[in-house]
Amino acid sequence: MKELFALASRQLGRKKLRVFLIVLGIAIGVAAVIGVTSLGEGIRVQAVEQIKASHDLTTIDVSAGVEEGSVTLITASKLKTIEADERVLFVAPYVKDSYVTQNKTYLAVKGITREYRRVQSNLELEKGDWFEEGKKSTEIVLGYDVAKRLAVIEDLGIGDEFSAKIRLYGEEGRPKDKTAVFKIVGVLKSSGDEHDNQVLVCIREAMELDEKDAYDGAFVKVDDPAFAASVREKIEGLGLTAHSAQDVIDEVNRLMVAITLVLGFFSGISLVVGALMVVNTMIISVYERTKEIGLSKALGASDFDIMKIFLAECVIIGVIGGIFGDLLGIGFSMLINIVGKPFLVSALGAELGAGLQSGSITVITPWILVAGFAISLVLSIVSGLYPARRAARLNPLDALRQI
Amino acid sequence: MTVETKDLTKYYWMGKEKVVALDGVDLKMEEGEFISVVGPSGSGKSTLLNVIGCLDAPTKGEVYLAGWKVDYRNKKSLVRLRRKFVGFVFQTFNLIPALNAVENVEYPMYFNKAGRSKSERRENAMKLLEMVGLEKRANHLPSELSGGELQRIAIARALANDPKLILADEPTGNLDSRTGESILNLLTRLNIEEGKNIIMVTHDLESAKKMGKVIQILDGRITDK
Repeated sequence: MKELFALASRQLGRKKLRVFLIVLGIAIGVAAVIGVTSLGEGIRVQAVEQIKASHDLTTIDVSAGVEEGSVTLITASKLKTIEADERVLFVAPYVKDSYVTQNKTYLAVKGITREYRRVQSNLELEKGDWFEEGKKSTEIVLGYDVAKRLAVIEDLGIGDEFSAKIRLYGEEGRPKDKTAVFKIVGVLKSSGDEHDNQVLVCIREAMELDEKDAYDGAFVKVDDPAFAASVREKIEGLGLTAHSAQDVIDEVNRLMVAITLVLGFFSGISLVVGALMVVNTMIISVYERTKEIGLSKALGASDFDIMKIFLAECVIIGVIGGIFGDLLGIGFSMLINIVGKPFLVSALGAELGAGLQSGSITVITPWILVAGFAISLVLSIVSGLYPARRAARLNPLDALRQI
Repeated sequence: MTVETKDLTKYYWMGKEKVVALDGVDLKMEEGEFISVVGPSGSGKSTLLNVIGCLDAPTKGEVYLAGWKVDYRNKKSLVRLRRKFVGFVFQTFNLIPALNAVENVEYPMYFNKAGRSKSERRENAMKLLEMVGLEKRANHLPSELSGGELQRIAIARALANDPKLILADEPTGNLDSRTGESILNLLTRLNIEEGKNIIMVTHDLESAKKMGKVIQILDGRITDK
C-alpha cells in the first residue's frame, strides 16, 4: 500500500502544475461548501443562543392530552406523580375561566399558585398587593389592560368590590349561572404578554367557584435544562401534552439544517467542476501513459494493478484537495464573517443585530471540516474510476505499439 | 525451459483486408537455447514474440511454455505466466520516466512480490544493475542516461522476476553498432552464464548468425535458410 502511494506520488510529482491546478479546483469547491455551511451553522448557533437567552429552558408547559378524541385531564394525582420526580423542582398548575360583570364586561380569569408567579417572573405589581385566600369577597389582581378597561368602563379601582356571573354547565349541559363578589386588591405592571388581559385569582378559590377538579394547565419547573427532555417524556407518558422552549430550538435547528443543506448543495455545484477536472486530467494522463500501461502489463501487471495505480493518484489528489479545501474554507468563512457581519447587523437593525455583534456569524465545527475532506476524497476517487478502468482495460499490445 | 508452438496462426483485419501475421508456425526450443528470428518488416516476427510472451492471442494453434499449454482465454493465467516465465526487452527500451534506474528494475517485482520484502527487492534490483554494469547509475532518471545504458537497464528489468525466457524485440535497433554489440554480448552472457532461454527478433542476419540458432520468417512462415 505504502509503495503504491509512493509510486503514485512519483507519477504526480512529474506534473506538479497540473496537480496543483486540479487540487486548487477541488479546494475552491470544498471551500465554497465549507464557507456556506459555516455561515448556516453560525446563524443557527446565534439563533439558538438568542432563544436560550430569552426563553426559560427549565420550564415545561403542560396541557391536557388529546389523543384520538379522548382527553386526558391534568388531575391533582397526575401532578403529584410529576412533582414526586426528584428532577422536578416544583409544579405550578393553573385554571382558566371567564367571568362576566353585571355591565357585561368579560373577564378572562386565571387561577394561579405562588409557584406560578415564580415561573412567570415578569408578573410585577404596579400598585396594591397580591390576593389573599379566604377573604369574604374573593380577592383578585388585574392585568394592566384589564385594569385600564375596568377603570374606564365600570369605574372600578383598587379596593373596589364588584359582583360577576360565572356560567357553569350542569350534567345535562344546561347552563347554570352563579354570582360571586370580587375585590380588586392589585394591578400588574404591563408584562407585554397574555397577562395584561387576564385577571388573576388564587387557584383554590377559582376551582371552587368553577366547581372544577382538574387543571387547565401547569408549568413544570426542572432543576436543570438537561433534565427537561426526560421529564417531558415522562409527562407525555402520563398522557398529557408538554411543550418547552426546546421545541422552538428544535424547530430552528431543523429549519437551519434544511437551509444549510440546500445552500451547501448549490454551492457544491462548483465541486462538479472540480470533479470534471479530475476526470479530464486522469483521462489525459491515461492517454499520455498508454505505452507505460502496456509496458506494465507486459512486465506482469494485472488489470487490477493498473487500476490501483491510477486510483492511488486520485486518492492523493483527493487528500491534498481536502486539506487545502479545509484551509481555504476556514479562510473563506473568516472572510464571510468580516465582510458579511456588518452587513447583516445593519440589515437586522439594532435590536437583533446587537446579538450578532458580539459573536461570529460563521461557525466551523470539526464535523464540517471532516465532511469537506471526505467530499474531496470521495469526489476524486469517483472521478478517477472511469479513467482508471479505461487504463486497466487497455490491450497491452495496442498500448505498447503507441508512439 | 522449453518453448513449443504448434501450427501457430494469427490473422489481423486491417479494415476489410485480412493480414496473415503467422501462418502455421511450428517451433521447438530446447532448454538454454538462443534463437534469433530474422525476417523483413511485417513478416510476423514481432507477432510470434508477442504470442509466445502471452501479450497477444493466436487465431489458431497452441503454445507450450515449459510443457504447459497456454490458455489464451484466461486473462488471469496469462498475467501469471508473464510474471513467472517471461521477461521482455523492447527496441525502444520503454523505461518509466518517473522512476530512476534501480526503481525501473524493481518495477516488475512490485507486481510479483513473491514474498520478497521491499528491501529484498531493492537489493535484488541493485544486484541486477551490477550485473549489467550500471550500479553507479542506480539513482539516475532515464532522461539522464544514454541509449546503451537504458537498454542495459531494460535487460536488468527483464530479469527482475528471474524468468526462464527472455523475449527481445530488436534490442539493438535503436543503438549504434558498437553499443548494439555490447548489448548482444550481454544477452549471450545471460544465455551462457545464467542459462536463460532467449528469443531475439532482429533485422541483422550477420550478427544473428553469431548468436546460435537462426530462424527466418517470411510472410508468417518459417523458411529454410
